Amino acid sequence: MIPVPWCDGRDGMYGWIWRHLPGNAWVRALISLVLVLAVVYVLFQYVFPWAEPLLPFNDVTVDDQ
Amino acid sequence: MTHGTDGTGGGGADRAGRPDEAHGTHDGADAVTATTEDDARTEEAAPARRRRAMGPVATAVAVFGELLITAGLVLGLFVVYSLWWTNVIADREADRQGDRVRDNWAQDDGRDPVGLDTKDGIGFLHVPAMGNGEVLVKKGTSTKILNGGVAGYYTDPVKSALPEDEKGNFSLAAHRDGHGAKFHGIDKLRKGDPIVFETKDEWYVYKVYDILPETSKYNVDVLDAVPKESGRRKAGRYITLTTCTPVFTSRYRYVVWGELERVEKVDAERTPPKELR
Repeated sequence: MIPVPWCDGRDGMYGWIWRHLPGNAWVRALISLVLVLAVVYVLFQYVFPWAEPLLPFNDVTVDDQ
Repeated sequence: MTHGTDGTGGGGADRAGRPDEAHGTHDGADAVTATTEDDARTEEAAPARRRRAMGPVATAVAVFGELLITAGLVLGLFVVYSLWWTNVIADREADRQGDRVRDNWAQDDGRDPVGLDTKDGIGFLHVPAMGNGEVLVKKGTSTKILNGGVAGYYTDPVKSALPEDEKGNFSLAAHRDGHGAKFHGIDKLRKGDPIVFETKDEWYVYKVYDILPETSKYNVDVLDAVPKESGRRKAGRYITLTTCTPVFTSRYRYVVWGELERVEKVDAERTPPKELR
């Protein structure tokens, strides 16, 4: 059942996700990659643009004070 | 947890050759791959891999650790987003808008002079010392406008003059980092360097005469029609570039003042003034 040795005996959420993905190690790795890319896309497209004005890193203009 | 049985009770069963079936989830799905996995297992069976079930504390620590790693990765991605991706987006947007402005100019040629189209942008700023080509200039300095990869002229808190005005201060702002980072190289400017503003019909050639490397962001006096901090007392035709400093922060403002040197008519080929050649 455990295709990767470093996952052996360890749990945590990523281990849990890995164990619940279908297919063999290659299929799981592929699905994992797709999931990671999806998360990055959502972050860049929606989360970061939303969070940016709330963070104090880049308020150029005085009228935003 | 399914692994309780797998680990504690199943150590012997593992080696017996029917390991996977202890795990409910993959019974059907793994039918095809079962043989290969079984093969792999007999090879590595010797050290008797035992899955020990983790206690609730250990699981909590593991999940917490993974959350910390995830948070670190997300913050790293945010840096990539701020310093790289916003530039990609903003440059793309600014290029499109710049093209539209030039198209408008080209179409208007030969007909009666139309007023400045302030919505698309009023012209292009060329600062050879910054080495970043032309910067589209639009009206306003709101976050929304500046995030489009352009420089904006102030309408608030101090209303900027326009280059063609008889007297006044043409005051501009742009991002130092991210969103096009159009004034990133502002610290490369030295006294005497040219700043050229291109409109449909004129080249306005300014010369830098004073620099204020750091001031409070509430110091809006630098935008005055006669910027006293630059040492000038008389009304004239000034240009003021403002952006954030130090780099990668928005703590202070960097200010560069220039004064109009001459105005050149744009010729048919739009030959740039000698400062840009």
